[in-house]
Amino acid sequence: MPDTVWKKCVVVAGLAVFLLSFPLLVRDAFLLRLFTEALMWIGLAITWDLIAGYIGYLNFGHGVFFGFGAYTTTILFTKANLPFALSLAIGGGVAALAALIIGWPVLRLRGAYFAIATWAFGRAIMQLALVLDVTGGPDGMRLPPFLNPHFFAYVMLALVGATYIVLWVLLERAPFGLKLKAIREDESGSLAIGLNPAKLKLQALVLSAAPAGLIGGVYAYWITFIDPSSVFGDLVTDQAVVMAVFGGLGTLIGPAIGAVFFLTFKTYFWAYLSDFQVLYLIILGVAIAACVVFLPDGIWGAVTRRQEGRRALRKGLSLNQRAAAPPAHPSAAGTSVRPSVRPRDGEEE
Amino acid sequence: MAEPILRLENVSKAFGGLKAVNQVSFDVSEGEIVGLIGPNGAGKTTVFNLISGYDPPTEGSISFNGCEISGRKPYELAAVGIGRTFQIVKPFAGLSVLDNVTVASYLRYPAQRDARRKAREVLEFIGMGDRADMPAAGLTLAGRKRLEIGKALALEPKLILLDEVVAGLNPTEADQTVQLILSIRKSGVTTLIVEHIMRVIMGISHRVVVLNYGSLIAQGAPEEVARNPQVIEAYLGESK
Amino acid sequence: MLTLLPQAIIDGLLLGGIYLTVSIGFSLAYGVLHIIDFAVGEWIMLGAFLGLYLTAWTGWDAMLFLPAVFVVFAVVGWFTQPLIQRVTSGAKGRPVLMALVFTFGLALTFRGAAQTVFGIFTHSLPTELAAGSWYWELGPFMMTVPLVRLAGLVYALAITVGLTYLLKRTDLGLAIRAVAQHKDAAGLMGVNIQRTNAVVYSLYVGISAMTGVFIGAIISLNSGMGPDLSLFAFFVVVLAGMGYLPGVPWASFLLGLIQSFFLIFFNPSWTLLAVFTVLFLILLVSPTGLFRKGV
Repeated sequence: MPDTVWKKCVVVAGLAVFLLSFPLLVRDAFLLRLFTEALMWIGLAITWDLIAGYIGYLNFGHGVFFGFGAYTTTILFTKANLPFALSLAIGGGVAALAALIIGWPVLRLRGAYFAIATWAFGRAIMQLALVLDVTGGPDGMRLPPFLNPHFFAYVMLALVGATYIVLWVLLERAPFGLKLKAIREDESGSLAIGLNPAKLKLQALVLSAAPAGLIGGVYAYWITFIDPSSVFGDLVTDQAVVMAVFGGLGTLIGPAIGAVFFLTFKTYFWAYLSDFQVLYLIILGVAIAACVVFLPDGIWGAVTRRQEGRRALRKGLSLNQRAAAPPAHPSAAGTSVRPSVRPRDGEEE
Repeated sequence: MAEPILRLENVSKAFGGLKAVNQVSFDVSEGEIVGLIGPNGAGKTTVFNLISGYDPPTEGSISFNGCEISGRKPYELAAVGIGRTFQIVKPFAGLSVLDNVTVASYLRYPAQRDARRKAREVLEFIGMGDRADMPAAGLTLAGRKRLEIGKALALEPKLILLDEVVAGLNPTEADQTVQLILSIRKSGVTTLIVEHIMRVIMGISHRVVVLNYGSLIAQGAPEEVARNPQVIEAYLGESK
Repeated sequence: MLTLLPQAIIDGLLLGGIYLTVSIGFSLAYGVLHIIDFAVGEWIMLGAFLGLYLTAWTGWDAMLFLPAVFVVFAVVGWFTQPLIQRVTSGAKGRPVLMALVFTFGLALTFRGAAQTVFGIFTHSLPTELAAGSWYWELGPFMMTVPLVRLAGLVYALAITVGLTYLLKRTDLGLAIRAVAQHKDAAGLMGVNIQRTNAVVYSLYVGISAMTGVFIGAIISLNSGMGPDLSLFAFFVVVLAGMGYLPGVPWASFLLGLIQSFFLIFFNPSWTLLAVFTVLFLILLVSPTGLFRKGV
């Protein structure tokens, strides 16, 4: 056991060193851009998976939160002349507020309603951004360029890194994650053990929206131009869905891997086939559908299942060996052959 | 007799035009095991749903420890001290046995470490300590029913509602569950139990409440109730 | 402005007829298969394009191809349904979730394919009916009823009546209702669930595709029209109560009226927002739809 813990520490430390030093070591602007964008998509994919993988609800309007962050930050920064950091923070807050407003009526209902409502919400908000004056309508908005790619690489790294750590602690270490999983497994049963699913789901949605909004704000400043279709468009959500499903739902690492993998693929695909951008939609769609059919646990799920299977096989073998010698190991025989022979011992304690 | 921990007064529940429970009143005293019996469709599970907050009663009052609880949400009632199991078991299939009980333990032990410890204690108590790391989906029916009890116990309830926890088990397993119910009572938890198997319910209950077509037709000590002509008719009329 | 009121109502009802056809097959499919098909708008779009190509090829009236479009897409639906079936029965743990993701993927694929093959331009389906319209004046009120829209309404009502007859009066309908109510029990009673599901899905796809021909003739068609149509279909079924067929016509006409009022009296670009606001309020006040009969 301590052996694997030690191994994990080495991997995490190595990864941290790699991530922190990458922007400094890399001279190629293209690679640095890819690095920042990969971080952004990791952030969007894991926050989407917080709802899909941990609670089992599909948010087809995740891009809305990203867009809210981007637009709020831009408007406050360029029109109200607030400092960027403050604009960004308010952008995250507005995204969280949007989550609260949309989630409150819809999360009480079954998952199908949620999928529909979030999707409809996304399209309605995009429409709103197109007709309002303050958003610049279809012309979009420009931000003063701040040409320091390293700044954005590190801001994105800090933001997504913090999101990842917070989510990891909350979902994998704190009670919150297990409560969400219980709701995913049986919502009505979770009521009986003292959980309030409506409240927990709403908390999770807000928790997923706020980082998405912050990422949107940073994205806007980085790219220096936003318009309704680039930040509110379907593509934001669609790509996050592909990455999370492809990587493996219900984990954090899966969507992160999926994001890196898919973005790399997309970037090179785009570079070689820039004339056929619509083909990308087909690839996204086929990738989603094919993953569901052939790889329902994603690549990460497939890898871990394989390991688990091997471990279980080994364990099973050893159990059988012990069971084969009954007098010496009665307890082992009890666990593997007749699960309910033993309970009496337990009751006497 | 001690102060009743649970009191139902003229409780009714209608689904559309159908009265599933009709003007039912009974008390459960602290430390008792009370059996709730009746032929199929008599409204036993509905009574459980009313007490545990899954359905609000159409009329009447339900009080627990002297407080009115009708219309409160299930998770509020869990916090007040009512634990329940489901006839159709609801394990969190994708989670391990330990996680199933841990998530229930959070109610009293919000810290992860304490909840884990509580969950292990409960698993030992119900005799499933050796299966803690198994996925709940891999349990036998007996295991699942036992896990249901474990989840309810992890809430540290004052009153536990057991819905058909013995039915469907083989004789050995049934005996173990009966022993478990007795030890739950010994630990001071009041028990209201719905069960089809008469041998079990007559053997362990202090008092028995009999429902038929949603109405209460008799209550009292098991031997008295067994001699009650209305009860005999209700059962004979149905089968045998 | 008030003089436009009757026209707004007529337009709304005619438009409602379109939404009725968009939603009724979809609602049936949800009621029986318990799957939200995110590709509903894409089926309509594909049907419209098939109609367009057939008319361009033969030069005949688009309305003549309704049966052909229905048959082609019913067959496509028949062969698509087992895939969805496989997702819902195969995926461990979260079949409904996975099915949703799957149809979402299908929708993207169809949209991408259509944009690649058909381009992004807007077309219109030629039909004789498009030329004619009824016009009359009543005091200060002027009303126009384009014949093609009227045909759309008649088509919608015919489909509704036909489906109702099928469900209520035939053995197949009985089987469908049985599966909708309790799949396992229906299976035990000897209903062939697989076949019933496939029939429902192919009916739904066929009807949606035919609707595409009407929409192409009445409004227009382009390869990006799918999402908005899906949105309207969702709106109608949520308003009607998910899976509650009798609510669908009312919800459709309400949607049509909202849209026509926005077109005539307010800013048309706010229509989608208005639609969403109504959806939001309905979910807030009565989550199971106007009639509180949804599931």
